[in-house]
Amino acid sequence: MTEITTGLHRRDMLKRLGLVAVAAPGLSLLSACATGGSDESGKDIAADGDAKNPFKVDATIPLNVVIFKGGLGDDYATQVHEPMYVKAFPGVKIEHEGIVDIGKALQPRFSSGTDIPDVVANSGTDLMDTGALAEAGHLQDLTSLWDAPSVDDAGKKVRETVMPGAVEAGLVAGKPYLLPYVSTTYGLWYDAELFKSKGWTPPKTFEEFKTLAETIKAAGLTPFAYAGKNASYYAYWMILISAAKIGGNQVLIDIDNLKDGAWTNPAVEQAAAAWAEINTKYSDKSFEGLMHTEVQTQQNQGKIAFYPSGSWLENEQKDSTPAGFKYGLAPTPSVSASDQMPYEAVRVAAGEYYFVSAKGENPQGGMEYFRQMLSKEGAKGFTERSGSLTIVNGAAEGLTLSPGLSSVFAAQQAAGQNVVTTSLFENWYKELETELRRQTNNLMYGRSDAKAFCAAMQKAADKAKKDAGDDLQTRAS
Amino acid sequence: MKTKTEPPARPEAVPTVRKAPARGGRRPAAVASGVFSGLSHAALAVWALLVIVPLVWTFVAAFKTNAEIFGDAWTLPETWHFDAWGRAWRDTNIGRYLLNSVFVVSLSTFFTMLFGAMAAYVIARYEFRGNRVVYFMFVSGMMFPVFLALVPLFKVVQNLGVHNTYLGLILVYVAYSLPFTVFFLTAFFRTLPTSVAEAAFIDGAGHVRTFFQIMMPMARPGLVSITIFNVIGQWNQYLLPIIIVPADQDKWVLPQAIATISTTAGYRQDWPALMAALSMAIIPVLIIYVIFQRQIQSGLTAGAVK
Amino acid sequence: MRQGRYPFIIGFLAIPVVLYAVFVIGPYLQAFQIALTEWNGYKAPEYVGLENFRELFQDEAFTAALRHHLWILITLPLATLVIALFFSFLLNVGGGAGKSGTMRGVKFSGFYKVVFFLPQVLAVAILGVLFQSVYRPTESGMINGLLAKVGIAPVQFLNDPKIALWSIIGVVVWQSVGFYVVLFSAGMSAIPKDVFEAAAIDGAGRFTLFFRVTLPLLWDTLQVGWIYLGIAAFDMFAIVQILSVDQGGPDNSTTVVALEIYRRVFRYSDLGYASAMGVVLFFMTLTFAVLTLRVTRRERIEF
Repeated sequence: MTEITTGLHRRDMLKRLGLVAVAAPGLSLLSACATGGSDESGKDIAADGDAKNPFKVDATIPLNVVIFKGGLGDDYATQVHEPMYVKAFPGVKIEHEGIVDIGKALQPRFSSGTDIPDVVANSGTDLMDTGALAEAGHLQDLTSLWDAPSVDDAGKKVRETVMPGAVEAGLVAGKPYLLPYVSTTYGLWYDAELFKSKGWTPPKTFEEFKTLAETIKAAGLTPFAYAGKNASYYAYWMILISAAKIGGNQVLIDIDNLKDGAWTNPAVEQAAAAWAEINTKYSDKSFEGLMHTEVQTQQNQGKIAFYPSGSWLENEQKDSTPAGFKYGLAPTPSVSASDQMPYEAVRVAAGEYYFVSAKGENPQGGMEYFRQMLSKEGAKGFTERSGSLTIVNGAAEGLTLSPGLSSVFAAQQAAGQNVVTTSLFENWYKELETELRRQTNNLMYGRSDAKAFCAAMQKAADKAKKDAGDDLQTRAS
Repeated sequence: MKTKTEPPARPEAVPTVRKAPARGGRRPAAVASGVFSGLSHAALAVWALLVIVPLVWTFVAAFKTNAEIFGDAWTLPETWHFDAWGRAWRDTNIGRYLLNSVFVVSLSTFFTMLFGAMAAYVIARYEFRGNRVVYFMFVSGMMFPVFLALVPLFKVVQNLGVHNTYLGLILVYVAYSLPFTVFFLTAFFRTLPTSVAEAAFIDGAGHVRTFFQIMMPMARPGLVSITIFNVIGQWNQYLLPIIIVPADQDKWVLPQAIATISTTAGYRQDWPALMAALSMAIIPVLIIYVIFQRQIQSGLTAGAVK
Repeated sequence: MRQGRYPFIIGFLAIPVVLYAVFVIGPYLQAFQIALTEWNGYKAPEYVGLENFRELFQDEAFTAALRHHLWILITLPLATLVIALFFSFLLNVGGGAGKSGTMRGVKFSGFYKVVFFLPQVLAVAILGVLFQSVYRPTESGMINGLLAKVGIAPVQFLNDPKIALWSIIGVVVWQSVGFYVVLFSAGMSAIPKDVFEAAAIDGAGRFTLFFRVTLPLLWDTLQVGWIYLGIAAFDMFAIVQILSVDQGGPDNSTTVVALEIYRRVFRYSDLGYASAMGVVLFFMTLTFAVLTLRVTRRERIEF
């Protein structure tokens, strides 16, 4: 267990780690003072229509690439992305570094301004605080990358080849400074083999959910469970997703913008009521005291039917999944017939951040490296070597995927444009998020109801708005 | 330093190793007395079980399989699997954290005792302007909750560039152990006779030599007592290390590692290994405790009674 | 005394005083200052006067934490000291009068003391992990596994907001009892034998012995114990953080001030507010210690 994080969806892993995880980013925030450098931002790099070399890379300048060597490994860089870059600019030199403690290794280099790497995979428990880096002018604005022609199709801009919401997920203080490369899909996970043998199919509506839950209960399994001790946010993700399905993504955007009455929106209340009913009737109160790993192990042992999580789950459970167990992903059921989004809609979030240093030797090279990463070939190679899907549309086509990943892929295909947006308030307003965890457990374990839940959250959101003052964050879409 | 381990109570007394109460000898027990004695034993035995059973359970669980740990708590493993111990040793790095703790705590306790004794000796035995100020400055530190200092402490450590280093951890351990150490040892040095030191001065020994060659050996019982207290307190310290060495996993000490291993035990879903790691953290402490239990008990309760 | 006295004094004091001033006194003084600001750690702190303190008392989590400290302050010392007194009495006097009239402890009292004291040497972090298994809310938990055997439904030790705090206090009692057993035993064996003998000759039974002789003579030791446990009651950080549901939950039912400070600092980067909590905690600890010393002060019994 030397390497705690598996590399997949570090942000979620971090959250789950509780103390350490929370401490690490918190501390790097505090240490922001140590990040020196002037405030002048890096020069804008223009892109032209040249599909071969839009950023005018100078092949005589070497490219320094630093990759987090965690659960994803760094093979995908040395075996796929870097060779692609060299192939595009024959003779160019790449200085590759695979590093575990990104912050410890890089922070001194950034604050002293010497030996700044061009491309950084900013991950791990010891990642750098990108807010502080942005303030110090170290991050390259990626606008021209997103507007550059795609490697695969010169007629398309890069931003048109990635999943919706990916560009926005990389915003820092309103500017696209980060490239979130990995895509995560959220929903209900079940053992597809078990379901096949029992003749069960994932429910499309909450009515079906309840009927199936009765059957599952009769068969001696717990129909639904999440870990209250340290992963109550898995449950609130489900509530938020359902709220968006009922009332559209605007419901979640309003919540992020701390809009008045965003939490008391009937869509949120309906979603909360639906999930509370499932958990109070078809789960067990003992799960409130268990950790995510304990609950996940129980699912692997065939004791739990549905478990809410993201697509890192299969990889995370790799070692304890019995041979006959095949992970499948189901979208959250529809709450009512008048839902704005179809049953097939899923939440797909972009994460795992990369950035280009504005004050490095070769920002043009960094941008071009990203453009190569965002090609289908680059993305496919990444998925093959790391077991994770990317934000690049259709890049996994033709790959042999694990059962879990292929169900994710199928779910994404089925969802099409019906993607539930990712909530940003979770990272913007930590106090609000903490309150949400508390209220989620209260709601799901029967200590409150949907109305009280919404009222409590609205109160917390109002407080967050008051506390934020001028630092209020906003998103348009 | 705020620790769970309670310090010796009143410092003015010289700690002594107390004999266990006299035992043996047959006694003409009345029936009532027999019943009482029986009930006494029952009560004592129940508490002893309450202490021992969770530890033994953890130890046994390290030989179980995942499924057995998640099954009935009170069954023995069907077959005794030893491999979790190997995995725990390899994967959790518990050996490294044990060594880290030993390394940090030996150095920090050593310097706590050295600096604490130096300050206490000067405060106790020398009149100088500001003597009281220095004394109360140290003693007041016992009243502060560490949490109050957390934020600025973090900044100080950061500004000195000792964040995420052993040096930072050791310095902070020493600093936060000083109030109690100085308080206790000052009282202790005051109780020592002055005649020996004076004789040494007459023989021409300097202040420094008198301190190290005469006073330190004389103060041995007090020093031993406080050393034990500091070792236990610093060994079990949880808050300071998570503030000072949070990011660099290789430098973690045992308590923070154990806490993290338990929250993440998980990533490999290897519960037997967690139990083995926990046992590995407990067993060395137990062995040392059993060997030195008499000294530890008397050291920690030293001076609580006159 | 000698020449070179002041260089010696300064030489000996320099390192400890500097270390202490830099890492302890300095931070504490700064904390009082920071408590008057709004500060997220990297922008310049903004002076807000007593605003943080005003907000504190409307803060649900903080007031819940204060309430918990009050409960812990009452129950932790009470439970620990009563249990410890009981056991140390059994161990030291429980054997009744020996043939020569001296009071003796029960057999194996040395063994019991070694065992009882044992949890004291285990790190709280380790206890936290250990008690996860003890309290696990299913039949694979140690206690609920036993209850299941006799057909009692699992007790939700840490999930039920009504009992979660008590479950956590129980761990601390479990850990602390041994120390006080040893402490009181030392105290009891220091009571001169003739005191007991005289009482025994007067026909005093065990209970009279305990309440009329042992207890008054141990008063000072008890008072010390109360203060230690009281100070421990204001901490509780590690055990709550590791053991409780949702760190301080469910529904804030186990949170303590230290945990709220930790959360403020490391999750919310709200350093001014966190320091204000620290200041309140400081004054509470101080008040407690002063009050305890005042109230429990009484004639020392000398012998």
